[in-house]
Amino acid sequence: MADDKINSYAQAILAVSAAEGNGTQVEDELHRFAQLLEGSDELKTTLSDSSVPAAKRQQIVEDLLDGQVTRTTVALISMLVAAGKGADIKNIARQVADLAAETRGKAVAEVFSVVELTDDQQIRLATALKSATGKDVEMKVIIDESVMGGLLVQIEDEVIDGTVRTRLKQLREAF
Amino acid sequence: MKKRLIIASTLTGLLLVFGMVGSAAASGESLGKCSVDEYAEKFGAAELTPENISDAESIEAIGEIFDGCIEAPSPIIPEINEVIWGGGAFVVLLALMLWKGFPAVQKIMNERSEKIASDLDEADKAKTDAQAVKSQYEAELADAKSAAAAVVEEARQQAEVLRSDLQARAETEISEMKAQAASEIEAARERAMGDLQSEVADIVVGAAERVVEANLDAEAQARLIDNYINQVGSN
Repeated sequence: MADDKINSYAQAILAVSAAEGNGTQVEDELHRFAQLLEGSDELKTTLSDSSVPAAKRQQIVEDLLDGQVTRTTVALISMLVAAGKGADIKNIARQVADLAAETRGKAVAEVFSVVELTDDQQIRLATALKSATGKDVEMKVIIDESVMGGLLVQIEDEVIDGTVRTRLKQLREAF
Repeated sequence: MKKRLIIASTLTGLLLVFGMVGSAAASGESLGKCSVDEYAEKFGAAELTPENISDAESIEAIGEIFDGCIEAPSPIIPEINEVIWGGGAFVVLLALMLWKGFPAVQKIMNERSEKIASDLDEADKAKTDAQAVKSQYEAELADAKSAAAAVVEEARQQAEVLRSDLQARAETEISEMKAQAASEIEAARERAMGDLQSEVADIVVGAAERVVEANLDAEAQARLIDNYINQVGSN
């Protein structure tokens, strides 16, 4: 279960995006920004550093995202950074996706891959995941070169790992 | 004892009396008186003077008188007067002895006997005391010997316990040292094996990673993703 504060922030973001009429887009943009933060330790540290003035951190967000995402998304992320929740953006984005998918009767499937999946692969993967878990899923593809090859899918607390990284790890542990 | 003392005193008195009488009979006074008496009896009233005895006949007669008087009295029977005097003296002496001497002697002897008896009693008492002291000393000596033996035995037992403890401790330490050494050897062996396996794994997996990376092109990635989707869908 998500932390109460994270859940509250996620619900607030969903309410604002729904009010603005671009809920799904905000959800995707927030997810991609969370992945951007995970790929840049320096940016994540800066936006999470309370010694950096909030206005400075907000300015960084606006400079980074201006013109790349909707104004609603910029405003919401800026709000989170100003509130000192820069380190929690990943969890908040995940909670937003979960809550949004839940309202649509679906589950969020985070797919970690070295390469982008084609539409055909995403459709077949969604079908396969529904067959395996019995749930309709909304996929969030995350590019992660550490998996080396193959896919790792996490649906809620369930993980289906078919990555080359894990197979090499198993090979190392076999010795 | 008293009777024997009296008898002895009596015999002593008699001996003294007759001894003294004998001596008196042999003295010159008796000889003179005897001669005078014999002369008067033989020649009448004529005085015995040097003028009267100047002739040879008188001298010879006097010589015979002298010879007669010189004859020793009986050595056994004294003169009567001497017996009287001697007996009186003896009686007086015996009375004095019975009155003062014997009681004094008896008193002295009694005191001496009492003293001897007292000394004997004291000696017996001292002997008894000495025996008691000796017994006490022997008992104390026996106790001391027993206590010493107990102390020696206790010390021996303590030494035995200490020796056993030290031996057990030493054996325990030796066992622990052996176990520790064996454990350390096993740990070192396992560590070495682990290091070796890790190195081998690093080498093998590193080689595998290099091979995989070299062969993971877009086609291979697509194939891996398709295989994953097919595998998930078939479960």
